[in-house]
Amino acid sequence: MIVEIAWKNVWRNKARSLIVIAAVTIGVFAGVFTMAAINSSVVQRIDAAVNEELSHIQVNNKGFRSSGDIQNTLRDFAWVKALLEITPGVKEVTGRILIKGIASTSAKSAGVEITGIDLERERQIFTLSEKLIPGTGTYFESETNFNTAFIGEKLAKELNIIRYIITDGALAKLKEEGIPSEVISRLETLRGQRFVSDKKFSDSFEDLLTTSEKKKYSMKIKEAAWSFREGSKIILTFLDVNNMQTGAAFRISGIYRTNNDMFEAMSVFVPVGELRSLTGMSEGTFHRVIARLDENDITDKVTPGIRKVLSGYEVLNWKEIQPDLAMMADMMQQIYGIFMTIILAALAFGIVNTMLMAVLERTRELGMLQAIGMNRRRIFIMIMLESIFLSIVGGIMGMAVGGAVIAATARNGINLVKYSEGMEAFGYTAHLFPTIDAGFFLMTTILIVITGILSSVYPARKALKLNPVEAIRGE
Amino acid sequence: MKVVEINDVHKTYHDTEVEVKAVSGVTLSFLKGDFVVIVGPSGSGKTTLLNLIGGLDQPTQGEILVAGHHLSELKPSQLIDFRMRHVGFVFQSYNLIPVLTAAENIGFIMNLQKWPREKRQARTDELLGSVGLSDRRNSRPSQLSGGQQQRIAVARALAARPEFILADEPTANLDSKSAESLLDIMEKLNREEEMTFIFSTHDVRVMKRARRVITLEDGKVVSDVKKE
Repeated sequence: MIVEIAWKNVWRNKARSLIVIAAVTIGVFAGVFTMAAINSSVVQRIDAAVNEELSHIQVNNKGFRSSGDIQNTLRDFAWVKALLEITPGVKEVTGRILIKGIASTSAKSAGVEITGIDLERERQIFTLSEKLIPGTGTYFESETNFNTAFIGEKLAKELNIIRYIITDGALAKLKEEGIPSEVISRLETLRGQRFVSDKKFSDSFEDLLTTSEKKKYSMKIKEAAWSFREGSKIILTFLDVNNMQTGAAFRISGIYRTNNDMFEAMSVFVPVGELRSLTGMSEGTFHRVIARLDENDITDKVTPGIRKVLSGYEVLNWKEIQPDLAMMADMMQQIYGIFMTIILAALAFGIVNTMLMAVLERTRELGMLQAIGMNRRRIFIMIMLESIFLSIVGGIMGMAVGGAVIAATARNGINLVKYSEGMEAFGYTAHLFPTIDAGFFLMTTILIVITGILSSVYPARKALKLNPVEAIRGE
Repeated sequence: MKVVEINDVHKTYHDTEVEVKAVSGVTLSFLKGDFVVIVGPSGSGKTTLLNLIGGLDQPTQGEILVAGHHLSELKPSQLIDFRMRHVGFVFQSYNLIPVLTAAENIGFIMNLQKWPREKRQARTDELLGSVGLSDRRNSRPSQLSGGQQQRIAVARALAARPEFILADEPTANLDSKSAESLLDIMEKLNREEEMTFIFSTHDVRVMKRARRVITLEDGKVVSDVKKE
């Protein structure tokens, strides 16, 4: 009965209750959606790190990670690999050769880490093959007698392998994308010119476009003018097993694009056989074994067992290799807590205010209820339920709207292209696909109920202080 | 059988620096089935006396005994429970719960007392019939006239069969016809259910119907007349 009365009381002053519910809805929606967006950037960063860069667990000889010594190959590779393969939770295992070297073209050079990979097994563990930029070749699929390398876009830019050329095709593409014809006609003055760096190309249309045009169209112009000559080569130089400098020309098999500029600039992938023959490493030798697990979440559970069995090796999981990622994941919980506390505290004041008004308006009625025998506990519960209902209705609506907007934006993502340079420098994507798990909604619901309860305490105490004699006195 | 016994009751309010003796040395008793009216000029202590009998206020001195309970010995929480079980209240301004229907208002105290649903329903139906509002059972108070609301208030007060009903100026906000009709119902219920009614009023119509008239002046009983 008290529940029913409390619910009906909420709707006594529809306008006022709806305003509070709307405030709660907007607050919860803002919280849920913002958290989903922030969460997505962290989740996407972790997924990218695991799927493209690190996988879950890496095993190498102790000391290899710091020295990078080519001769420090993994002891008993076959045994370590077999042991990982039979470990519950491990999905796939591969070996890698890792060598520090220099990548160069006739124009430029850059320090890189050359990774020799087993192509078939890598595909089972990493998704890098899916990051191939269309039109730049393949993931080691083309038939060639040359050594081949798969390199990142950032490195390709640094080595001047990628250029910007305003061709007829580029202008046509811009037209298709709805760039105004007067902008296109101004760009025509650059037709046929080659620009070897992003900066030089940007400078070239600095004076041709207005500030707002640059803001709006520069990304599209760069995309359209982006050009890569198939069959381009780079020279990779490194030390062999005898510490003698060696190297070879590698044809670019394909160029990949990730959200991590640093990784793109540093990581060159080549088939393990080619690297072995150039370095003189023996058949079946590797520097590191990489293990992919069934899920990210079991990393902490699986790692100790592997570490125990492989006590003579350095066994690190992705959280230990990149502690910033683990910290971000942990921090998400704290950010969520702080964020929701601020939002719910603000909402609590609104609810307290509304409930206080409701109590003061009903002085006579609450006094009468006490007079006819409704005890203080029941009155307290009734006021508390009214606050909880206000919070819950608003909260559920906020979560529903938030959930719907998250679902809608998750389809195509939110493109923060303006901030892509800064975000990608730290490995974070500028194209967010908001995501949130069920636990978040459950936790939010609990927090909303707690807010409702806390918001009710002051108005309810106020109601209990009323003197029932006031009611019987009449008007 | 005595329903209420009041022995030398005093009630003094300390309003800032002034001491107000609202009730001063009142000794009275009410019998089961009484239809009593307490009259007197404004400030004579009628409402205070009603509040004391109903356990809404505690006497400064003296003793009130209701259904075996010494009210001055009860704690505030026990007083609330006492009121729920032993006293029916009818207020001047009806004071129905606006979000509940007429039937739900009548069933409210039975609900607080956790009566079984069927028993509650039967009693509600019976009382709706007694006050002549069976056809308005699902109406909210705002959909009822003042007279109808007060009839529902009387039914609510009677519902859980209290020891007696305290009615403070029950006809003050009603027109003449509604007041007469309400008094007819109260008289009928007094007769049929042998329910004790204690009124505080200025209304001559109520005084005419009462079988006992107690007059208060300056907090003291100046006359207690029983009609034959």
